[in-house]
Amino acid sequence: MLVLTWIVVALCLALGAWAAVRALRDQAVILRQLFAAGAVEAVLLVQLLVLGVLQARGAQVDDGVTLWGYAISMLLILPAAAVVSFLERTRWSSVVLLIAALTTAFLQYRVLVLWSA
Amino acid sequence: MTSAEPRSAAHGGGRVVVFVYGLLALAATARALAQIATRFAEAPLAYSLSLFSGLVYILATVALARSSRGWRTVAWLAISVELVGVLAVGALSLAVPEDFPDETVWSQFGAGYGYVPLVLPVVGLVLLWRTRARSPERGSG
Repeated sequence: MLVLTWIVVALCLALGAWAAVRALRDQAVILRQLFAAGAVEAVLLVQLLVLGVLQARGAQVDDGVTLWGYAISMLLILPAAAVVSFLERTRWSSVVLLIAALTTAFLQYRVLVLWSA
Repeated sequence: MTSAEPRSAAHGGGRVVVFVYGLLALAATARALAQIATRFAEAPLAYSLSLFSGLVYILATVALARSSRGWRTVAWLAISVELVGVLAVGALSLAVPEDFPDETVWSQFGAGYGYVPLVLPVVGLVLLWRTRARSPERGSG
């Protein structure tokens, strides 16, 4: 779990930095960034799977419903930013992607706290 | 450029505002549903408010993303409710903390969400104001 969390956080921060640079340069989101976001989503899905397996094996979590709420909500954020990047072909799509990446990283932190509680 | 029609709030920088509204709608609604599903009896007032705020954020997100006059009116109303909500609940949660044993989006003026719930309605109202319909005789601002 811990390794996956750090992978997601690192990827999200890198993607966020990339988006920030493009926003500052007045550039919109490009397809390669969406592929990167797709990679984050793939790791998130693996994490969901690991979470399910660990719980099925009897790992105890204080607040499982909230944990799963976070885990599932997290999956929606980057795809929503991807939709925006198709609609909005200006620097503002980069700002949206930056916010999405940072939010996903923050939710990872919340999941980690709930998991280790 | 002058226009009698309101411009869409949901383009350019406005798109960012709509996106953050969507995030808050998701966060508030998902959290409220989790709270109500697991422990409604512990803090019925706080959890009901959570759900209400989540629904208002959903309404505001949809309304801001649309540009027709009707939806803009809905956006004005929803965002005003948010501003009143965050101010009232923020003050109440400090004045009578025993009624708010668990967090809501609006508790402590939205401190748990980096004060975004406090700032966002103001940003939303400014956005609606700046994209309002302008009558040609008054000229463009």
